[in-house]
Amino acid sequence: MAEKPITDEKRVFMTGNEAVAWAALAAEAEIMYGYPITPQNEIMHYWTRLAPKYKRKFLQTEDEISAGFTTCGGVLAGKRAFTATAGPGNVLMQEAMSMAEMMRIPTVVVVQQRGGPSTATVIYSQQETTLTCFGGNGEGLRLVYSTSSHQELFDYTIKAFYMAWKYRFPTFVLGDGYQAKMRESLYLYNPIEKGMPLAESYPFLGQEGRPGVEREPSHLRNTYNTEEELYQIISGYVEDYERMIPEVVEYQVSDLEDAEIVVIAHGIVSRAAREAVKVLRQEGRKVGYFRPITLRPFPTGKLREIAPKAKKLVVAESAQGQLFKLVQEALYGETVPLEPYFKPGLGITGEELVEFLQSNFGQ
Amino acid sequence: MLRGRAFVYKRVFIRIKYDHLLIREGLRIREGQERIVEAYVGEYASGKSEVALNRALNLVQRGHQPVTLVDFDLVEPFYTLRPLQKELLKQGLQVLTWETGKVIGWGETGTLLKPEVRWALNRKGDVIIDVGYGVAGIGKLALLANIDECPELKVYVVLNMARPLTASVVGIVEYVQTLGTVQGVINNSHCGDDTNIELIQEGAKVVTQAANILGLPVIGTTVEQRFAEQIEEYDVMGNPVFFLERQMNRYLW
Repeated sequence: MAEKPITDEKRVFMTGNEAVAWAALAAEAEIMYGYPITPQNEIMHYWTRLAPKYKRKFLQTEDEISAGFTTCGGVLAGKRAFTATAGPGNVLMQEAMSMAEMMRIPTVVVVQQRGGPSTATVIYSQQETTLTCFGGNGEGLRLVYSTSSHQELFDYTIKAFYMAWKYRFPTFVLGDGYQAKMRESLYLYNPIEKGMPLAESYPFLGQEGRPGVEREPSHLRNTYNTEEELYQIISGYVEDYERMIPEVVEYQVSDLEDAEIVVIAHGIVSRAAREAVKVLRQEGRKVGYFRPITLRPFPTGKLREIAPKAKKLVVAESAQGQLFKLVQEALYGETVPLEPYFKPGLGITGEELVEFLQSNFGQ
Repeated sequence: MLRGRAFVYKRVFIRIKYDHLLIREGLRIREGQERIVEAYVGEYASGKSEVALNRALNLVQRGHQPVTLVDFDLVEPFYTLRPLQKELLKQGLQVLTWETGKVIGWGETGTLLKPEVRWALNRKGDVIIDVGYGVAGIGKLALLANIDECPELKVYVVLNMARPLTASVVGIVEYVQTLGTVQGVINNSHCGDDTNIELIQEGAKVVTQAANILGLPVIGTTVEQRFAEQIEEYDVMGNPVFFLERQMNRYLW
């Protein structure tokens, strides 16, 4: 039995990418498949540095198409497998993740968003929101957690493994280049010691016993003969997905009581939003805060409860309206005005949001 | 013919000028102002940039001139000293780092060495090198021109025991042994805004024990200015304390 990577809970200081590598160890991930791309490289660096010590494995593939499919393969063999990528790598992985949706393969992918479209910058954006939620030729039957700190990168990476295997939908942790590279303190812990269950992994292929006689056959398909056959399968998946929604959906709110303006942001931008709300509250402004943590499924119910009480919703994001679209879809039929604050590929600070919100209050 | 002679004259002139500089440099050393050349290495988030930057500013404040701070990061030059450059120049530091707009393809060009960084050791005065991108180690110091002719170069390892891989004596010994030849270690144990004095002093103990095993001196413990009332001139292990003014946290990078 290999040494445990984390025994006692401990405050540490590291980059977000390292936090992901430690989380994967803590979640007892067994293998990482990957292909290097900035800004996620140190997830691989740290995993490869730590893996031999804790008897875990790593395979560097020839590209992200392969990294995505080998991750699917690892899972089919019964391993808690994951990969990490960004930008164009995320684009290439969509074919494999589409297959994971079709075959209900519980893959875990950590995405550290970089600028887009194409190669753009290696640094930062929130432009992979739509891609991560709805990439591939399918229905977006995935679970996407958008993190905002190193602690959350650690917590949600651990959670991603559990949720992926529990519901058998491909699961994503959506970070960004800022979270990847920033240095911040967090607590590392062993989830088992906290009473948190680990993902129950099992092989999909190569199980013991004669199929059809001693056990159910593993009938894993991503190809169907007719439209009707496919329709029946997808409808079943959609039902499973909808049943899962209330059990997995997550959000964060504050200062909503009497809020006239509610700022909506996800990921790292939510930190700027939270800061802006704090400053404006001190000035006596009636401003509130809503942050979807799961972008897919989106916390539609909660947002629809908040929206009618507000005079305006401000959507702030480092993209040209990718979160905005999710908000719009969730609020179909509501009449509350939506005010965009879009900075595609650019960071958003608390100070600039304070200024923007003040102007919305008519100052 | 004429061109050839002019060329010869020019070479002689340069030679004279160069010798003159050597003489001046020699005098300077005799006056007891030995040139300081230091390279700071360490893991991500160990605090190398902060320590290097503070060291360089401190030398300027003590009247050393010129002092050059070198951002020696071949992989990710956009994350470290770039946003601070203009401000540091105002404070009398010479900073060798990339500037936005003067380079293209950051992060996608493979490794990138700024020519003036390659020749940094040839500069006059003190040279402080921030060796970025921890995972690559210090092997890349060999890329600096004339490194073999720079006996004054000291390589110091910045250690932070809030990082799991360097949180124990064994961990530090194993890590430092992977680096090659270094001249000392620095206890920079911290947790960003969540640092406390216990962590700093615990770091001093662990780093000192590891240094004893490695046969290396502990250059000191670096501490944020805000702890000035909780720690004196020396840490619990008797290592000198140097106070830091945090600069790196003021920027997104």
